[in-house]
Amino acid sequence: MMQIVIQGLLLSGLYALIAMGFTLIFSVGRVLNLAYGAYLLIGGYVYFTVSQTFGVPKPIGLLIAATVGCAVGLLKYRFLVKPLKGDHVAVEISTLILAVVLQAGVVFLYGDSSKILLPIVPGVIQVAGASVTYNLLAATIASWAILIGLYIIVRKTHIGRAMQAVSMDNKGAAISGVDPDKINMFTWGLSGTLGAIAGVFFASYTQLHPAMWVAPLIIAVAVVIVGGIGSIIGTLIVAHIIGFMEIISVALIAPELRGVFTMILIIAVLLIRPQGLFGREELQ
Amino acid sequence: MAFLELKSLNAFYGKAQALHDVSLHVKPGEIIAIVGANGAGKSTLLDSVMGMTTTTGDILMEGKSINQLSTAEIVQSGVGYAPERFNLFPYMSVRDNLLVGAYTSRESIESNLAIVHKLFPKLKERQHQETSTQSGGERQMVSLGRALMTSPRLLLVDEPTIGLAPKVCGEIAVALKRMCDELGATIVITEQNANFAMTLASRLYVLESGVVKAEGTVDELRGDARLTEAYFGA
Ligand SMILES: Nc1ncnc2c1ncn2[C@@H]1O[C@H](COP(=O)(O)OP(=O)(O)OP(=O)(O)O)[C@@H](O)[C@H]1O
Ligand SMILES: [Mg+2]
Repeated sequence: MMQIVIQGLLLSGLYALIAMGFTLIFSVGRVLNLAYGAYLLIGGYVYFTVSQTFGVPKPIGLLIAATVGCAVGLLKYRFLVKPLKGDHVAVEISTLILAVVLQAGVVFLYGDSSKILLPIVPGVIQVAGASVTYNLLAATIASWAILIGLYIIVRKTHIGRAMQAVSMDNKGAAISGVDPDKINMFTWGLSGTLGAIAGVFFASYTQLHPAMWVAPLIIAVAVVIVGGIGSIIGTLIVAHIIGFMEIISVALIAPELRGVFTMILIIAVLLIRPQGLFGREELQ
Repeated sequence: MAFLELKSLNAFYGKAQALHDVSLHVKPGEIIAIVGANGAGKSTLLDSVMGMTTTTGDILMEGKSINQLSTAEIVQSGVGYAPERFNLFPYMSVRDNLLVGAYTSRESIESNLAIVHKLFPKLKERQHQETSTQSGGERQMVSLGRALMTSPRLLLVDEPTIGLAPKVCGEIAVALKRMCDELGATIVITEQNANFAMTLASRLYVLESGVVKAEGTVDELRGDARLTEAYFGA
């Protein structure tokens, strides 16, 4: 029982981090960025190359992965999303294509097989009879720290309020002196950064694989659909619903069904409450 | 020199032309009104000054062309806008709506907030309310307040009293008058009803189908038989 609670909390923290960057773009830019999982892919492989292959200290490896994620986010906005402005279907299709191309690139460079990413923080600790890896614990603590930081930025700073403003009313933001284009740019960079960091932790929790962008994308989409939200707190809540559902189904039902209940939940919410449990897309 | 001057302004929505060869000027510290019926092009005119439509012709502020600037840059150069549908941020509090208005004017947040709260005490009482739950009159106040938070020297207000009860209209009119008298703001309002416009504005421009049909002081226009029926409710 304790094992389930602890594992559930840890996994959910990671899921919240994974979903957050996706939610940001969805609520501020109103774009379903289907290439979001690619940030995790890039983050994981960049970190692997820098820290594991070249032996650069891990915090610096993480920083470099985050920077590359940020750069990819900025480039994607500038050269793909902005030129296709307003055409959501085109944006969704092209972002999906981009993810597939990136996957092919990773296969080309690193091969098709999966790679083990060594734990960022090695070691195991016993908590109330449950064994917890320091690595997942670190991921969870990092998630919470990032989410709290993000919450403060969004609620308490000028740029954060401007992000909320753009997500709620573009014209209103512009006549307040906010340049929606710059805010979008900032959000894409932030999203790429968050995705890449999440990717490093996710890869160290599972493993590095060229197709590792798919599962996190589904988690992120699930959070957006189930939550229907741009709310940071809502994202955290839904990530916990999904995280616990997974852990419970693995522990009590069958490990093979991992993720299946998440899919069923997505479909159930779409049928019963299409606007999502929280029903608001604006960033809050 | 005119504070704001439009020279032969044309505005377009795609191929459709909404303003035709509009020229007007506003002197510093003056309140003028643009009067016109539904669809005359009043909102288009104000949107054009904010750089939000496709235009040809010239828009000068203090003699300098602002045609090429982005909306955010126009705000930064001292133009505040309260649009007809307010465009507030519905799930943010009154206070946060006002703070977004301060985006380019951060050094004067406290003093501007004090001004807004003095003009509209209700906004201070309701500062934590989400604007999605507010009445039309309250939203108009937030909209004007947000525009004031940008530290405007020129304020554009689109139909300040539309849909408001007479008492609230009066409050808004008093507030606009005080912005002009006490803060030295230059103000452009639009109105369907010339009678209300007259209580505030020193000069009117009459807009019909995107064309300036007449201009002048209140007294000059009142004598114009063509306008009397349509705009003064004779
Ligand atoms: N976004 C738009 N796309 C196409 N045409 C538009 C758009 N906005 C306004 N128009 C057209 O431009 C003309 C002027 O509209 P505008 O909104 O400026 O009038 P208005 O004087 O503000 O009217 P109202 O008193 O109803 O607010 C109208 O014919 C309108 O149909
Ligand atoms: Mg209008």
